[in-house]
Amino acid sequence: MSDLIACHGCDLLVDVSTLESGSHASCPRCGHFLTRCQHDAMSRVLAYTVAAIILLLLAVAFPFLSFAASGLESVMTLRSAPGSLWNYGMPELAILVAAFIIYIPAIILLLLVSISLPLIYGKNAPWLRFAARGVFTLQTWSMVEVFIIGVIVSLVKIAAMATVGLGISFWAYAGFSICFTLAVAALDRYQCWEMIEAVEASR
Amino acid sequence: MSTGYETAASRGLASCHVCCKLAPSSQHHCPRCGAPLHLRTGNSLQTTLALLITASILYIPANLYPIMITDTISGAEFSTILGGVVLLIKLGSVPVALVIFIASVMVPLAKLAAMFYLVWSVGRSDRENHRQRTKLYVIAEFIGKWSMVDVFVVAILAALVHLGGLLVIQPGIAAYSFAGVVMITMVAAESFDPRLMWDQLDKKNDGSDT
Repeated sequence: MSDLIACHGCDLLVDVSTLESGSHASCPRCGHFLTRCQHDAMSRVLAYTVAAIILLLLAVAFPFLSFAASGLESVMTLRSAPGSLWNYGMPELAILVAAFIIYIPAIILLLLVSISLPLIYGKNAPWLRFAARGVFTLQTWSMVEVFIIGVIVSLVKIAAMATVGLGISFWAYAGFSICFTLAVAALDRYQCWEMIEAVEASR
Repeated sequence: MSTGYETAASRGLASCHVCCKLAPSSQHHCPRCGAPLHLRTGNSLQTTLALLITASILYIPANLYPIMITDTISGAEFSTILGGVVLLIKLGSVPVALVIFIASVMVPLAKLAAMFYLVWSVGRSDRENHRQRTKLYVIAEFIGKWSMVDVFVVAILAALVHLGGLLVIQPGIAAYSFAGVVMITMVAAESFDPRLMWDQLDKKNDGSDT
């Protein structure tokens, strides 16, 4: 029965037992994506995740953008973007923005490490279910790639007013957004839970 | 069944929305991951509709009030979302104006319209385009969070541009309503259950068999 998957789009039962590595299955009735099988999926997840963690640490540590006009200069860091909302009297919005661009992605990355490491070695770990549930619940709410577009739009908006400089953080965050997206995309919901069930059964 | 298609519900199985596990629908929690288990999302249409109406109402102040305040020596300038788009076109950056217009005006409106249509269409069994409507749902779900761009732009500019009394950019109150619109439509998309559309089809096919 575990080879059957119910389509989330139309509830059709589909047999995915013959799915080969490197290919993916879509629902024959409604076309909804079902699952992708990749024999080294967890190694990919771990690789992208580690890269993303390093880049995120860099992005938090250095200046993001600098802005200079008439001899005055101001600098923005990744943390000061939500920080300024806080200072202008919008603490709720500040917390949300900080969560969307830094904290939720960071939590997802830590959970991804805690899932992929035991699964690569085929070992069971007591936190696997909790961590996987966390990842799949939180992933809708990370807006890393949206923030990058926001940065580019901001750049164009103010480029005419003054000299804008790109800091180390900007490049680090751009790289982080790519690695993060790849890490989350490499983790297939169905396959991940099948693997968790398999290592728990082999205990 | 004449179509040869068998759904999980017809076998009395519920599919877990977190881990895809199939379990008897009499259970309240998924045996694998512990998430609440249900055959169909509970009160899906009512919840979705309520959230959509909330988001539509919030969309009005989001556009009427300023989202960004630019303080210069010559005074303060209040700009709404549409005002920002117009300003960008005046500055000559049409591509970026287009990005902001699509992300902040068209996407939320299109998403609201699409979700309203989907909720409305579930109740009609004469709708035949199930496949297209499922695709429409997937797209509406995917594009939702891209509208946050404008809120992020305001946060970035407010953090970056503070040159003493010369030039200061402040966030405006519409940022609140706009973030609200985006998040509420995201929750609305999550609470909508596309399987309800297909249930109509399955019911119809069952009816024609007997």
